[in-house]
Order: sequence, then C-alpha cells, then structure tokens
Amino acid sequence: MATLENGFHLRTEFHRDLTVNRLLGEGGQGEVYHVAYDGRPAALKWYKKDSLKNPAAFQENLRQNIMRGAPSREFLWPLDLTGWERGSFGYVMDLRPEGYYDITDFALCHVRFPSYKAVIDACLSIVSAFRILHNDGYSYQDLNDGNFFINPRNGKVLIGDNDNVAPDKTETGIVGKPRYMAPEIVLRKNMPDSLSDRFSMSVILYMLFCLNHPLEGQRYLVPALTPALEEKLYGSEALFMMDPDDRGNAPNPTVHGNSIKVWNCLPDYMRKIFLDAFSRKALEKPSARPSEAVWLNTLTRFRSEIVPCACGNEIFTQDGRPCRCEKCGQPARIPFRLQLSQYAIPAARGSRVYRCQLGICDAKDALNPVAMVVAKENRPDVLGIRNKSDRRWDAVTTKGEARKVAPEETIPLKDGIRFSAWGETIEILSNGPESAAP
Amino acid sequence: MPTTNELTDMPRKDLHIFYVLDTSGSMEGTKISALNHAMDETIEVLRTISKQNGDARLKIAVLSFNTGAEWITKNGPEYLEEHFEYEYLEAGGLTDMGAALDELNSKLSQHEFLGSMMGALMPVIIFMTDGYATDNYEEALDNIRQNRWFARGTKIGFALGEDADVKMISSIVGNSEAVIRVTDNELFRRLMRFVSVTSSMVRSRSSTADNAPTGAEILQQVEGIPEEAKVRLDKDDYNPEPKAQEEDDDWGDDKW
Repeated sequence: MATLENGFHLRTEFHRDLTVNRLLGEGGQGEVYHVAYDGRPAALKWYKKDSLKNPAAFQENLRQNIMRGAPSREFLWPLDLTGWERGSFGYVMDLRPEGYYDITDFALCHVRFPSYKAVIDACLSIVSAFRILHNDGYSYQDLNDGNFFINPRNGKVLIGDNDNVAPDKTETGIVGKPRYMAPEIVLRKNMPDSLSDRFSMSVILYMLFCLNHPLEGQRYLVPALTPALEEKLYGSEALFMMDPDDRGNAPNPTVHGNSIKVWNCLPDYMRKIFLDAFSRKALEKPSARPSEAVWLNTLTRFRSEIVPCACGNEIFTQDGRPCRCEKCGQPARIPFRLQLSQYAIPAARGSRVYRCQLGICDAKDALNPVAMVVAKENRPDVLGIRNKSDRRWDAVTTKGEARKVAPEETIPLKDGIRFSAWGETIEILSNGPESAAP
Repeated sequence: MPTTNELTDMPRKDLHIFYVLDTSGSMEGTKISALNHAMDETIEVLRTISKQNGDARLKIAVLSFNTGAEWITKNGPEYLEEHFEYEYLEAGGLTDMGAALDELNSKLSQHEFLGSMMGALMPVIIFMTDGYATDNYEEALDNIRQNRWFARGTKIGFALGEDADVKMISSIVGNSEAVIRVTDNELFRRLMRFVSVTSSMVRSRSSTADNAPTGAEILQQVEGIPEEAKVRLDKDDYNPEPKAQEEDDDWGDDKW
C-alpha cells in the first residue's frame, strides 16, 4: 500500500519541487517512487513509519552524505532530502537507467552475462567503488544482493541504497541482511565497518562467478535451517564450501554444480584470493581479508588472461602462453605476450594493461587502461600496442635505442621491445613463430 | 571454462506458507467470497515475490476445515513459481479446528510436507476463522505445540467477523498480538495480502533483529492495521504459547 498518493507534492530541503508520479517498488524499510524532481524524472525513497531506530540521526547522516557528494560515479547517491510529512521522510536519487538488473536476476538466471569478461568487469566496478568509499573513511554497512544494479552487456555497475553509508563503526541502526553479514556482525561482536563490507563484497563476487553462496555448501542443506543453525552457518562455524582442509561444508554435486564447474576452471590466483577471503582465519579475523587493492590486481590479471576463441568460447590462458581452446580444440592465436613484473599476459586483440597492474596507484585511477593491444586498420592480423594513458612512455627498441611513445601512439608488437610507465617496465615477448599461424 | 549459459540458478531454501482456512457454514455469502478473492490476489503477489527472491523459494499449502479438514493442495505444498492455481472454496459444515490442527500436525515433518533436497526454513502459518471451534481443539493444540516446526514457525491469525472466537485463535497462534480482528471484508482482503507478503520477505530484509520474527513482530511491520483490528488480550484470558525451550540445534539433527 503506497503511503504517498500519485500527485502528492512537496518542497525539498534544497527548495526544489517534487511531485509523486507512481510507486515503483517496496522493500522492508520503505517504498520507492518515480517522481518529478525539479522538473526531471527521479526516484524518491520513502521510509516506512517506525522503520528507523533513530530517524533524526539517520536523517542527519543522509544530509551529511548529500553535502559531501558521491564518492564515485558508480554510486546512485542521495541528492536531496524531504522534510517530515505524514510521520516520515525520504530522499531523492537518480533513477536506475534501462538495461541494469539486480544481482538476484543474475543469481536466478533471469539475466545472464554474455561472457566472463563482462562478469569480471562488473566485479572490478564493484571493488573499485568500495575501495574509493573505504579510502574516504566510510563504510556501506548493509552490503547485500539488493544494492547493485548491473548492466550485463558492459559490466557497468550502479550502487543504490546509500542511505546507510556512514563513517566506520557508526551505529545507523541497520546491521545488515542475513546471508550477507560478516561473521563478527552475525555474532554481534562488532559493528559494521569497512572490513565487514569486505566480507559482504567477497560474497557478492563469489556469487557473480559461481552463482552459489560461498558459505552455503552441504551444511546449508539441513532439513530445517533454524535461526540457531543460521548463526552457526554464517557466524560461529562459518566454513567456505571450497575449504581444502575441512570438507564439512563441501559442495553437493547435485545442488552446487555451478561452483564445482567454475572452481575447477579458475586460475590458481583466483582460487587463492577466494580461499584467502573465506579462510577460517579471514572469517574470524576481519583484518586478514584481502584488501580491495589486492582484489583489483587479481581481477585485472584474470581479465587480461582471457582470450576469445573463434568458436565463441573464452580461453583462460596462463602466463600469456599459447594454448588450445578446450571446447573446439583449435589453438588460440597468441603470437606475443606482455611480461609485467609479476606475471605475463597474452597480447591478443583487445588485451589491456590497467594502471593498477603497474604498482600502487590512486584508487580513482586503478582501472584506467594504460595500454591496449589493437589491430592495424585494414590488417586485422597485424597487432600493435597503443598508449592509452595520458603520459609518454619511455620505450627501448629491439636495437636498444631509446624513444618516447606519445599518448594514443601505437607501437608494433615485436619481440624484445620494452616500455616503461609509472616506473614499471613491460616487455613484449614472442611466443614463437608457430603461435602466430592463424 | 563453462560458458555463463551453462550455469543454473542459485540454490535456494524453501519457505513454506501454510494457510489454515475456516470454510464452515457461517462463512457462506460475502465472507467466503472475500476469502477466495483475498487468496487469489495474495497468491499472485507471492508468485512475483518468489521469482524475484534470491533468499527463498516460496511454497504454498492450503488446508480447509469445516466438518473435518482437507488439503486443497493434495499433493503437498506447491511451488508458486510453477503452475499453481487457487481453486475457490465453498462454505458449509462445522468448525472443526481441532481436526485442522491434527491434520496440520501430521504434515509438519520432513517426512511429509517439509521434505526437500534443499531443506526448509521455519514455515509461516496463517490461520483464519470466523467462529467458535465445534470440536475439542485444546488437546490438538497441546499436541501440535510439541511439533518443532509449529513451535518455531511464524504464526498469525485472522478473526473474521463479529462472532469469531478471538481467544481461540490467540491461543492457537500463541499470542494475541499476532491476531488481527476484521469485520470489513475489504480490509480483510488487503491485510491478508500485506501479512502474507511481509511474512514471505522476512529473510530479505536488512534487520536489527537476531531471531526469526514472531507473528506479533510481523504484524508490527505491516502498515495500515487500524487500532480496532489489533487484539490485545490479557494473558489470563487465553492460552499463550509457552516460551520456546533453548535447544542446541545441530547439523546432524534428524528429529524434524
């Protein structure tokens, strides 16, 4: 039942006109309306009466967030507040654009990502946004599957429900949603902070890859999941379904086929970061959880190692070396690889090197592409690497001559060329003549 | 690597919603019609919720009672997302509440209605009556209170019309604050929907609470319950549910 009728009008705190057009949806805490805000379409979240523990403090926190502005463009940030009407209040935000879907839509396969690259892009957007938020000293506090809107085509992400964003450990009265709360929150040992956000974020990342909840293995299948058992499952006895040392919560082959399929194909470093995020140590000790920066490095590496096959499959290469497509058996054409300081990635058309792969950087710059492998115009078989950054590279040619590579300039892929940017050197290495055959 | 198309939807627990509905003779006329419409609308809304709910898959079971009790969902609870059609009930006969409780008790078991590969959450049980029990319901109530699914489930009662035994329904759901008394058919229809929706979404809600909500807590979250519809009986006037014993639930527990 809508609390506000269509046509309901009010003036906001920032003296803008707002008129309710229609009810869009309803959650536990409140309702969301389509409204005309200052003459343009927007969304209004309206709190249910008595749904907040301390509405005045909650409203003040929202006001502070509005004044500060969105941490990054991924956040569907509060823009304006209403005054008190009919015993409650609300805030204004932008509408969710077309083409964006809930995590639940992906989890229940109403919508699918076209590729794992798109999955990784979505994960990267999520991690990057939370890194920026956390670096500012704030935490999201109520991170769950209902907060994200994802465009499957390009992996772009929007984060809604930013009304609980508050300085670390602030009591907003909301501790989180069951299944997504970190063990220390489930067990009421701590208040939500950026480290508990990290746990919830890792759950979302695992879900996007495997369409399973990482803690809902065999144990989840008990005939009756009582609140006491839930507290064990997500709290005191939390156990990752892929924990190699304790198979007590291992995947059930019938129910958790997704995890089994995907896990076996993930590269070692992806498995490692999930094992680190859900190790017994990290479940008990929030500070042991991988940081957003580590997630970014790992996910960008994974993205770099995926090469599309002509058959449509995505091939996960290792260390930039040629290999065969496990679906069609054809060799993947990877004539060159790019040697970074820690690992090598394939130099295939569309391969990118991100700023965060070149050492420590500002959170806002982490996902800026620095270099991209492109094909020569009219010659799709001739590849080069383009400077996508805004500064010049120092390159060394195969003959040992130094030269500069300007932004947007492309250099050929040739064995032995080295270039450096931000103090990191990247070397182009040939994978041998046979790997160049089409 | 499997393609993204090779994965199947995320496994979800079953959340059962039981409706125990009075179809005795006194329901004849506008009341049974209001009940049928309420159920029809409720089921449509729950179907949509289930499709969008990543936390639980909703199943419905309907028990109709008059002279004796009979499952409308004869083959056990049905998934709402699959083909399920509500068949309109007809009124006639006595108000054998005790028979309804016995029948419900016999099916609240993992070996009966609550068995599935995924396992179940604590059920939601919604009762509706417009009269006084015509059999000995007290004994049946004592029995069903021993059933852990019943004891831990979320129980809510509707007392429809002036003649409904509010004390009986309060005893059955265990708390008079989990009972709504409505005389207006339109209000009943609306509240039946709101109560069902709120109960079905409890797990999807960011919360401050630690426990599964009681029926009384659900009603606190439902907006639009007029003051006069709220029932507040003195504890001595009915048979409140005893405080649940603290049990140490375990993974291997098979007593369900």
